[in-house]
Amino acid sequence: MKYVDALTDISVADIKVDLMRTAYDNEDALLNSFDPRVVLLWTVLFMIIPWLFYDTLPLAILLAAAFVLAALSQVSKYLLALLLFGQVTNVGFFVVLVPLIGGTIRAVGHLGENAGRVVAGVMAGDASVFAETGTIVAAAVGRGIHTATTSQEVGIDAVGALVPFFLKLTIISVISLAVFSAMSPQKLSKGMLRLGVPRQLTFAIAYGYRMMPLLVEEYHALINSFRLRSKVPEKQGLFRWRYFYYLLTLSVKAFYPLIFNVAKRARVTVEAMETKGFSRSLGDEQSQTLRTEGMMVRTRDVTFVFGSLLFVAAVWVFT
Amino acid sequence: MSSNNIVVENLTFQYPGGNEAVLRDASVTIEPGEFTAVVGGNGSGKTTLCKTFNGLIPHFFEGTFDGRVTVAGTDTRESDVAELSKTVGYVFQDFENQLVQETVRDDVEFAPLNYGLDDYAERATRALETLGLDHLEDRFIWELSGGQQHLVALAGVLAMDPEFIFVDEPAAQLDPRNARETYEQLRRLNEKQDKTVIVIEHHSEFIADYCDEMVLVSDGGVAWKEPVEVGLNRLDDLLAHDIHPPQVTQIADGLPTEVGTLPSGRYPVTVDEAATAFQPAATRGSRAAVDGGAVATGTDAAELTERERDGDAVVTMRDVGHGYPTLREGYNRVLDGLDLELYEGDRVALVGANGSGKSTLLRLITGLASPDRGTVTVLGRDTSETLPEQLADDTVYIHQNPEEMFVEDTVRKDVAYYLENRDAPNVDERVDEILAYLDLEHLADRDGRLMSLGQQRRASLGIGLATDPTVVLLDEPTGSLDLQSRREVTGMLRKAESRVETVVVASHDLQLVAAWANRVLVMGEGEVLADAPPEAVFSDPNLLAATDLRQPQVVELSRRLGLKSPALSTESMCETLARSFEDDALADGGVADVSPGGESSGGTR
Repeated sequence: MKYVDALTDISVADIKVDLMRTAYDNEDALLNSFDPRVVLLWTVLFMIIPWLFYDTLPLAILLAAAFVLAALSQVSKYLLALLLFGQVTNVGFFVVLVPLIGGTIRAVGHLGENAGRVVAGVMAGDASVFAETGTIVAAAVGRGIHTATTSQEVGIDAVGALVPFFLKLTIISVISLAVFSAMSPQKLSKGMLRLGVPRQLTFAIAYGYRMMPLLVEEYHALINSFRLRSKVPEKQGLFRWRYFYYLLTLSVKAFYPLIFNVAKRARVTVEAMETKGFSRSLGDEQSQTLRTEGMMVRTRDVTFVFGSLLFVAAVWVFT
Repeated sequence: MSSNNIVVENLTFQYPGGNEAVLRDASVTIEPGEFTAVVGGNGSGKTTLCKTFNGLIPHFFEGTFDGRVTVAGTDTRESDVAELSKTVGYVFQDFENQLVQETVRDDVEFAPLNYGLDDYAERATRALETLGLDHLEDRFIWELSGGQQHLVALAGVLAMDPEFIFVDEPAAQLDPRNARETYEQLRRLNEKQDKTVIVIEHHSEFIADYCDEMVLVSDGGVAWKEPVEVGLNRLDDLLAHDIHPPQVTQIADGLPTEVGTLPSGRYPVTVDEAATAFQPAATRGSRAAVDGGAVATGTDAAELTERERDGDAVVTMRDVGHGYPTLREGYNRVLDGLDLELYEGDRVALVGANGSGKSTLLRLITGLASPDRGTVTVLGRDTSETLPEQLADDTVYIHQNPEEMFVEDTVRKDVAYYLENRDAPNVDERVDEILAYLDLEHLADRDGRLMSLGQQRRASLGIGLATDPTVVLLDEPTGSLDLQSRREVTGMLRKAESRVETVVVASHDLQLVAAWANRVLVMGEGEVLADAPPEAVFSDPNLLAATDLRQPQVVELSRRLGLKSPALSTESMCETLARSFEDDALADGGVADVSPGGESSGGTR
């Protein structure tokens, strides 16, 4: 069962480290070197820009650019792969689904048209009619398959119409992945604080980042606890689906104890926050000023925003 | 300045919704510059008492509050938690949850920033430098070891430059070495920076080594406050509150008065004092007889090899290599070319420095991890070819943190979980039997996660034993226990032996190792450095240094007294010293009939 271990043990460790790197190791990330407010505004801007394009080519170029940005921001390859897998299967789904439905409708339609003759034949109990019924069914299947193959083109056309839409969604997803994995939470909350987001929320973001790895570890430990005390299904079924279904059940069950443990931690945290003067700081001007000082919009921030806008303009003009 | 102290006067406090007062007419004064230990049994109210110092009581927990607490001249009722926290810094027992920012520097700066202090950066730098953490300032909190996290929590407190530093049970959540490191730092703060340090502590050996005053909290009141040497000599009081005196004090108590006491007439409380007090007895006795009582070494070792020759190994590891990827240091190889066989009847203690692969080894046996190289065979099954669920038929792994073992909402359901999943017959009866066996009946319907650590540990052992295992693997069973609970764990291990064939315990706790194991594996550099009975390991100072662990007081004392082989328990040390004293008395009387090392009964059992 080596391949199961490869799935559940080694790759879990690898994926964990890769995700940690995405979320936490952002010293060299390009986007992290800019002023956080600029990056936040830039993100909002680029959430809108893809919707101004309607053709596949410029969108594809923008997507390529987004991927370059993601690479510079050290986004986890697993996350990107997951995202791409989602989008590609979505598109593929249409290629399969459209002809399938088309073919079925056609075949059922043919059967329906000839239903009277079939029923009459069966009632008469005539052997020759049985043969005819067979011909009708065969014809129905034939027409269905024919429609399916021809409407594959229809399907592809339908997909073609959807491609720009998927491209837009993918661009936005990749950009937000890049931004949020590249910016360190300190910078992010600093920027948001200056832009007027309440302190409670920015603290929650920073706290979330702090606790996340802990929760991942704890979740993994809980699943392992469950595994050591559960029984695997004796019959594993086709493609071992029963086994994977069992693992899936465990991974859902492990959430309850996890949430309970989080609540328990929070009790101490709240007390500790009080001794660290958190509630006192909420209305404190001086504390707010100290927290957001040292931010500066420099030439390179401006260059980045205008450079990227210029790039978009170029795509607009030349395609 | 006389007002620069903490004064508690006739304090009575009851939590909202509580049935009775937790503190009853408690009075105590903490003078500036003290290093004070607060001791008391579970539920005696010591944590509640200490939470009145920084105003968490009555401002955060609003209960019925009678009496007065004055901190540096301020009545705590007239101030608030944030204000008082500038004077009284608090490190929680659950310090991990006290760290709320993601990097070390951010967390240390957090409080000064909240108070709007302009020099927050310098304060953080100073605090980090004081504790020698400056090289870690950009690290993420979750990357740090438990010991480092504790120091960061302490640095966060120091950044506010409080006059009083309060630490709740530093030794409870840390391994002994890190706890000692924390205490060294606290001593430095106490001596160099004139901070007043208050700790809640169960481990009397730390109290003896570091503190100068001790307060006994009993039944909601303060029973007494005494200098440590006096306090630790009140053995009856301590034992009545589940506090175990230092090993050397217990030894002294077991000896005739003229042998056991210091010239001043009291029992020694540190190894230094004990070495002075017992030296005459040890040197007066004839050398041959002065032996730590570990003569059984030879037989034990012979027994071991014989067993190895006979039976089939329960667990076999061949040329095992294992490691894991890390964020900063690439691939970390923990085990490298490890060969090992474990047999029926083995009581194995895995010792070694942090990161030497103790936990990894246990996880490899459970099958939760597969070796990158080599093979691990458990009861004839190759773990790489077997699912952990199947290996769990015969093997049980008891997690370092018992909380991770509780998946249901009552202890009873948790113990039954394995049996019900495997459609075992008579589940209820077997669960009842386990609950009775481990004295868990009164806790059966409680949620495991809400019990005390000692109770949790006991319940987690119950969960393990319910599986009727052949091999039991325990990760740090005394990692965070007070001594009372440690005694319970040792007792349970002995009980478990009648049911299981092989027990493997990964531990930092050499007292447990000395008292329980019959085979010690010293881990280091990716392999087994030594595989020997405990007596052999404890008489090899180089080996002990490799484990990075501190030897139990009896072993250290044996060395200081020049005993040929170390004593492993207080009883055998008492016996040895008493015997040598008697021998000497006999020798004085002209009868010198002593067979060398003769009747020692082997204090290892």
